[in-house]
Order: sequence, then C-alpha cells, then structure tokens
Amino acid sequence: MTLPAPRGSSYALQQLARAFNANATSWIGLVTFLVVVALALLAPLISPYDPLEQDILARLQGPSAAHWFGTDSFGRDILSRLLWGARLSLVISTVSILAAVVIGGIIGILAGYVGGRFDMVVMQVMDVLLSFPSLIMGLMVVAMLGASMGNLMIAIALTAIAPFARIARAPTILVKERDYIEACRALGYSDLRIMTIHILPNIIAEILVMASLWLATAIRIEASLSFIGLGVRPPTATWGGMIREGFENILDSASLSIFPSLAILLVVFSLNMLGDGLRDAIDPKLRGGE
Amino acid sequence: MSAAGPPQGANHAPSGGVGVHTRATADVPILAVENLVTVFRTGGGWHPAVRDVSFAVQHNETLAIVGESGCGKSVTALSIMGLVPPANGRVAGGHIRFAGRDLVALDEEEMRKIRGDRISMIFQEPMTSLNPVLTIGFQVAEALHYHRDMGRREASAVALELLDQVKIPSARQRFDDYPHQFSGGMRQRVMIAMALACRPELLLADEPTTALDVTIQAEVLSLLAELKAAYGMAMIFITHNLGVVASIADRVAAMYAGEIVEIAPVNELFARPTHPYTELLLRSIPRVDRDTGGLTVIAGQVPSIGAMPSGCRFAPRCPLRQPVCTSRDPLLVPLPDAPDHQVRCWLRAPPVEGGHA
Repeated sequence: MTLPAPRGSSYALQQLARAFNANATSWIGLVTFLVVVALALLAPLISPYDPLEQDILARLQGPSAAHWFGTDSFGRDILSRLLWGARLSLVISTVSILAAVVIGGIIGILAGYVGGRFDMVVMQVMDVLLSFPSLIMGLMVVAMLGASMGNLMIAIALTAIAPFARIARAPTILVKERDYIEACRALGYSDLRIMTIHILPNIIAEILVMASLWLATAIRIEASLSFIGLGVRPPTATWGGMIREGFENILDSASLSIFPSLAILLVVFSLNMLGDGLRDAIDPKLRGGE
Repeated sequence: MSAAGPPQGANHAPSGGVGVHTRATADVPILAVENLVTVFRTGGGWHPAVRDVSFAVQHNETLAIVGESGCGKSVTALSIMGLVPPANGRVAGGHIRFAGRDLVALDEEEMRKIRGDRISMIFQEPMTSLNPVLTIGFQVAEALHYHRDMGRREASAVALELLDQVKIPSARQRFDDYPHQFSGGMRQRVMIAMALACRPELLLADEPTTALDVTIQAEVLSLLAELKAAYGMAMIFITHNLGVVASIADRVAAMYAGEIVEIAPVNELFARPTHPYTELLLRSIPRVDRDTGGLTVIAGQVPSIGAMPSGCRFAPRCPLRQPVCTSRDPLLVPLPDAPDHQVRCWLRAPPVEGGHA
C-alpha cells in the first residue's frame, strides 16, 4: 500500500521510485545504463589510446593485451573508439529525445487540452509523421539536409515527436475532465497554469517511461543511419560507423564489428529493461490500489 | 470553539447566530442576479436550463437554493462563476451584478481575476476535487500566490494559518501530505481553505456536504457557518437537503425546472410553504418524530429541458392544477402580507389585477 511520502520530492519521482522497488529488471537496466554513461563520460581518462591515432603496422589485430578489443583497418584501438563513440551515441540520442519530449509533449498537451478542431488538425499532422517508419524518416531528413551530427539529431527528434505528442495527449484528455481541473478554473487559474502545474505532473511519469524506451530506439536509429553512411562523418568514432567499417573487413577480423554491435545491444537492452519495468509499474492495471 | 480568530483583520465581531439579518439588509446587495437565462444545446436547439431567474444576496447573508436534481441549481452557480461550458452552453440573457459590475459583460480575462479571489466555489466531491499529485499545502498556497502575488514562503505561511482555521489537526505536519492521505471530511476542509484563501466576498457552495457522512456533514456545516460569520462573506448554498437548509440559511429559494418558484426567509418558508412544489418538497422530508408508514413522494419527474410544458412548469405534477396553469406562465409575485416572500403560482399567489401581460 501507500508508503509515507518523502517530503519535498515530487509525486512523479516518487511514483518512479516505487516502480524501481517493485521490479528487479528495471534496477539491472538502470545500473547497466549508468555504467555505460559513466564509461562514456570518463572516456578521455580511461581510454588507452587516442581514438583517431593510426598505427598502420598493427592493423586488423584481434584482441590482445595491448589492444583489448583489437584494432581496425587503420590500426586504431577499438576499445578507445568504442568509449569515445559511446559519448557521441549518447549525446545524439539524449539530445534528440529530449527535444522530442519537449516539443511532442507541448503539442500533445495543447491538443488534448484545447480539443475540438485544433486537436483534430494537429493530431492528423502527427499521424502523417507517424506513418513514416523512423528509419525512412531519418533517411529523408538526412538526405535533404545533409549528413552531420546536428541533422542526425533533427532527424531522430522528428521521428519521435509524434509518438510523444500521442502519449501526452491521451492522459491530458482524461485529466482535463477531472473535478480538480474544474476546481482550478473555479479558482481563476489561467489555462497555461492549469496545463503546466496541474496537468503535467499527472502525466509526466508516462512520458518519462516512454522516453526511456525511445532512448534505445534513438541509439538504434543513430547506429543504422551511421551504418549506411548517413551519420556522423568518419573519422569520428560512432558505433554505427564502426560496425560499417567492420563489415567491410569482416572476413579479416570479426571482432571489428562484433564489439560495437555488442555495445549497442547492451545499451538498447538495458534501456528497454528499464523502460519495461517502469511501464509495468505505472500501468494502472498492474498498480495496487491508491 | 473561539471562532478560530480571523487572522487578517476581520473588522467586525463574529455574529454567531444563525438566520440573523444583521446590518446587511439595508446595504446594496453584494450579488444581484436579474432575469438570468442560461441555455444549453441539446438535440440541435438551444433550450433554457435556467429561465428568468432573479435574486439578490446581501453581505453576510446565506441564501440556500433548493430543488431536485436537474432543476437548474448548479447551472445558476456556474453562470455566476462564468463557468458554463462554452462548447454547448451560454448565458443568453440577464445580468449578474456583483459589487457593482455586470459579470455577464466581463471577458474571460477579467472574470478569471474575480474567480477564486472575490467569488469562490466549493464542489460536491471532495474525493476528486483536489489534484492527487500536488501537496495540499501547495494547493492552498497556490491561490494566494496566484491572485495576491505573494511569494511562495509568505503564501505558505498564510496557507498554514488557513488549514488551522478549517481545523485540520496538526496542520503543520500534514502541510506536505498528498490528498490521498486525507479522509473525505478532511479533504472538504482543505477545499474550503482553498476557496477562502483570498477571502472572497461571495462563496458558492454546490452541495458541499452531500458526499460526506452525516456526522462529518454537521462538522463541515458548522465550520462553514462559523467562517462565513468570521469573514463576513455572503454565501449561496446549493442543496437538495432541506434539513441542511434549516440549519444554515437565512433565506431560501426553491427552484423548479429552471425557475425560482418561491423565495422567502428561512423561517417564513418552513412555517408557510406556499408554492405547491415547496409544500410537497417539505412534506417529503423523512421525519423521525412522526409515525408514518412511508415517505410522501412527488409524482412524476422534472421535465427535460427540451420538453418544457407551457404555462406553469410544475402544473403536470401539481395536485392543485387549474386550466389557467397550463395556458399562461405564472409570475413570481410577493404575497400581500409578506413582501419578502415571493411565489410563482396562479392559485396561491394570484397577481394583483391590472398587472401583467
């Protein structure tokens, strides 16, 4: 049942905290993800080599004491490139999903709150966006704007805006009909205040869960686009780009593409575990009585 | 109970008595509703849910509006608040004069400044009228922060004082608790604290005790009466519970099918219910002091707003019905011997001749 609420912390955070206690997989997911984040942050300190430093005599080596994960076709250290690549992957996915959460969230709450024709038009535009598979959408944007880190983020954010608009809109429609929102009107609060202070905290948990799942998707999209050469340009290390380079030399050294693939798998898996656990925990059908 | 020492300089002694018209009668009324018409769209047409409703409320006075479900009590309240849902309803005529201004003519922005500040409302359902994700302290302080430009700290201090006044036990410890940690009665007290935060001149209470059990009802009613006296505000108390009316109201307006059918001081109304509807309403109260087999019921139902009978709207259910009742609309006229007792009935309160079209 309900635990005494820790003072001062927000309700959404409490809800998420309760979710964690109920679910071991979300713990595993979170810890794994945090380890990856920590490694990425510490990359300049812990990576054994410069990720761009070429050693042409030591190219395409397998794992060894000097190069734990081996070297690529230019003799660059794969471990170092993985660590530096993690920074890029995480920054790109986090920034793009953050943008999608903010923009999609605003669109969804507005559409749900205002309702009527505005809602209809906005959500139909969102449906059009949704009808493109995320990879196709990314391809289109990058093809139109050119391949760069910024455009990659724009592409990923664009594909994620519509789902976030939807996930924000549905509970907004539910919440705005509640008695306490009517009470807010009777107290003379402005629509903006009602949306930000009274509706948002009621729906934020669902949005955060969605964000954790979409973070994984963003990493996948980034890797996919880099893999087909539409991501960040070489020689900068990205996981998708490394798999692509590894693919070209797969007959000489399999470890070249295996390690970055495993890295992507690990992060996507941890984020999905985290998100699934959270989703189960805030699902009203699974949640205990309040 | 020491009347909970009104904190911010209430300038008059709390006049504890119920049903006492103090100095207020001579004043200009704080609220005067004149010929209010509120229409709703149903089945393609606009139909009045409230028709030609007029009444006034003085400072420090409690007016009870009674009537069965669907008779326009709540719509009247929403019209005063300017909260008629714009998608399918609107105020189509009349004036609502509050402190010298016509609320009907105000735009949403001006109305918003009045709501929650000078006119407040308490709702029926305390269990669902508080935001579950915000602490009660925050919710009470918010109105002050919003309407009075108080800083968070100052607003919180005043909010704590308010929670004390509505007798939340150990308010300081419970300030940061969430609504689900409170019982229904306690939540209704929090609602009252929120509504009274800015010391409104007028409080609309829409069946505030209906959802509470009887002992809690009595506590909340006495709390409301006490605070009303301490703050010197006017109150419109909407209910279908005549027992509650007797204990809290100064005057009573009985509504039927969107119209006021009788309005009188509370003692007068209970002693001499004149409109057949009011009379039947009073007779249908369960009595513990009489040995009767069952309850008196009023046959039939309130007509739906799309199918109002012509003439007197109560006529189809009225035991005294005459031909005139179904042909012409009766008017709300004072009784000859009691000018503040007005009745809308051809038979019980015939208009003085030469009068009305």
